[in-house]
Amino acid sequence: MPSDLSRLLNALGLIAVDTVLALAFIDQLWFRDLPCPLCILQRAGFIAAGFGLALNLLFGPRPSHYALTILGAAAGGTIALRQIFFHIVPGTGSYGNPIFGMHLYTWAFITFVLMIVGSAVLLLNDRQFARMEPWSSRLDVLSLTGLVTFVIIAVGNIFSTLFICGLGICPDAPTGYLF
Amino acid sequence: MMSLPFLLFACGLAAGWFSQRGVAISFWIAGVVVMLVLFRVHDSDVLNIAL
Repeated sequence: MPSDLSRLLNALGLIAVDTVLALAFIDQLWFRDLPCPLCILQRAGFIAAGFGLALNLLFGPRPSHYALTILGAAAGGTIALRQIFFHIVPGTGSYGNPIFGMHLYTWAFITFVLMIVGSAVLLLNDRQFARMEPWSSRLDVLSLTGLVTFVIIAVGNIFSTLFICGLGICPDAPTGYLF
Repeated sequence: MMSLPFLLFACGLAAGWFSQRGVAISFWIAGVVVMLVLFRVHDSDVLNIAL
């Protein structure tokens, strides 16, 4: 896999993560669907998983960067699965509004699994790691868009979580912003 | 407290942006550890399912 193709696929993957996190923000701000503590931690899982893709764009593709993506997605997927189990028995309720028939935590679990599978597929090709030319630190438009949006969303989540949870532990079902 | 993982990941991204790969990965590890600790703190209910 040429390094250009690797850069393109990592940029597209990071933009996909940006899109997921942006949709979560839209659900929170537009539909006033405040995230629960586990939902917030799943957002953190997406940031943890996207982090490896961001490092691939900044430093060039390395197996360790894909490992960060896989481990981050595994952690986020575990949290999402825990929330699915919490509501899986009929009559035990749910959290938030369903979208296209499934709740956000179920979509999150599916997305985490797809990230793990996608990273494994990208890892299959060794040629991306054996490039001869040095990795150019100059970012193209797609990579820069993915990275800048990713940083903005990470910082946005710091303030969003502060407004919902304050400096302590988050309430199980937040009803409004503290500030 | 709950915003701490995001803060650590943001610091890691900033370190990466300034070519500090080792520092970036250290922030990532700290962020994941804090995330898992917070998960443990909030995961206090017993699941009523048989696996």
